[in-house]
Amino acid sequence: MEDVLDEVVSSEDLQKFERVFHEQLHLGKVTHKAQFEYAWCLVRSKYPTDIRKGILLLKELFNSHPEGKRDYLFYLAIGNARIKEYNKALHYVKSFLEIEPANQQVLALERQINKRMEKEGLIGIAMAGTAVLALGGLVGLGVALASKKK
Amino acid sequence: MTSGPYNYSYIFKYIIIGDMGVGKSCLLHQFTDKKFMADCPHTIGVEFGTRIIEVAGQKIKLQIWDTAGQERFRAVTRSYYRGAAGALMVYDITRRSTYNHLSSWLTDTRNLTNPSTVIFLIGNKSDLDGQRDVTYEEAKQFADENGLMFVEASAKTGQNVEEAFLETAKKIYQSIQDGRLDLNAAESGVQHKPASPGRPLAAQPPARDNCAC
Repeated sequence: MEDVLDEVVSSEDLQKFERVFHEQLHLGKVTHKAQFEYAWCLVRSKYPTDIRKGILLLKELFNSHPEGKRDYLFYLAIGNARIKEYNKALHYVKSFLEIEPANQQVLALERQINKRMEKEGLIGIAMAGTAVLALGGLVGLGVALASKKK
Repeated sequence: MTSGPYNYSYIFKYIIIGDMGVGKSCLLHQFTDKKFMADCPHTIGVEFGTRIIEVAGQKIKLQIWDTAGQERFRAVTRSYYRGAAGALMVYDITRRSTYNHLSSWLTDTRNLTNPSTVIFLIGNKSDLDGQRDVTYEEAKQFADENGLMFVEASAKTGQNVEEAFLETAKKIYQSIQDGRLDLNAAESGVQHKPASPGRPLAAQPPARDNCAC
């Protein structure tokens, strides 16, 4: 556990807040609170499908409940970063920082997202490098076999 | 932020709790970055910080969860109490209401943590002595009656901030030494050093499924 993006919700918590949300949904009246609590758990799930669902619920809240905008933006950024939609995540971070440019919590999140992008970019390069080496090995083997035949 | 090798023997989980605006995040930043944030906006949900400290020659990594004080976060932030080895419970010495709510914070902490969790009471904003609304003696008595450790501190000047975090760690470490804290219990809030040296330990292994290696 190195940063907030690593954190995973427990299944009991997810189920607890899911139950409340669904009960209210059933009665036809979902409060902002219940929807936010459920979405907050969903974006911390280990399953991308849950995270995507959380993002949808947060977007809905963002459009219907202006008072909670900063909370929704923050967790929209976290949710997107967790499914590796880094550009979307940074877009939400940027929107947040337009309102509160010095917010340390959001600036820290921005650094973590950038760090992940960098790390995963490097992994991509490393894998490409290994492929080149493997290819080089095959060519080398081919050359060796060809020269042996002579 | 923190540089150098991640070399530590233990990980302790802390939570910081208390009313809105008492300075929980400022205490965290003073402790992790040695900086005071003048206008600290309200925390969203939870904030996370780490620092490696030393107790009795052992390197210990503190993983600190700073919870939002606003009521609307309360239901979900309660789940962060689970498995905390240390709880820093904060009030503002210039606002009596934040002190009056301590018993409710304490009840939550006792219900949601385990008996070996160390609870440390912090009266923050000790630099504003002129505006004091809660006496030292009164809070000290409350702490004694409830078996809590206690200091008055200032996130602004840094006074006693280091002490609060370190004394909590010492007490936890003591519990491990005495065998009162079971390291194998999942909820103890304490983890052993990772098997391979120099590699940070993930608190939740399932979270690592994003690793492409």
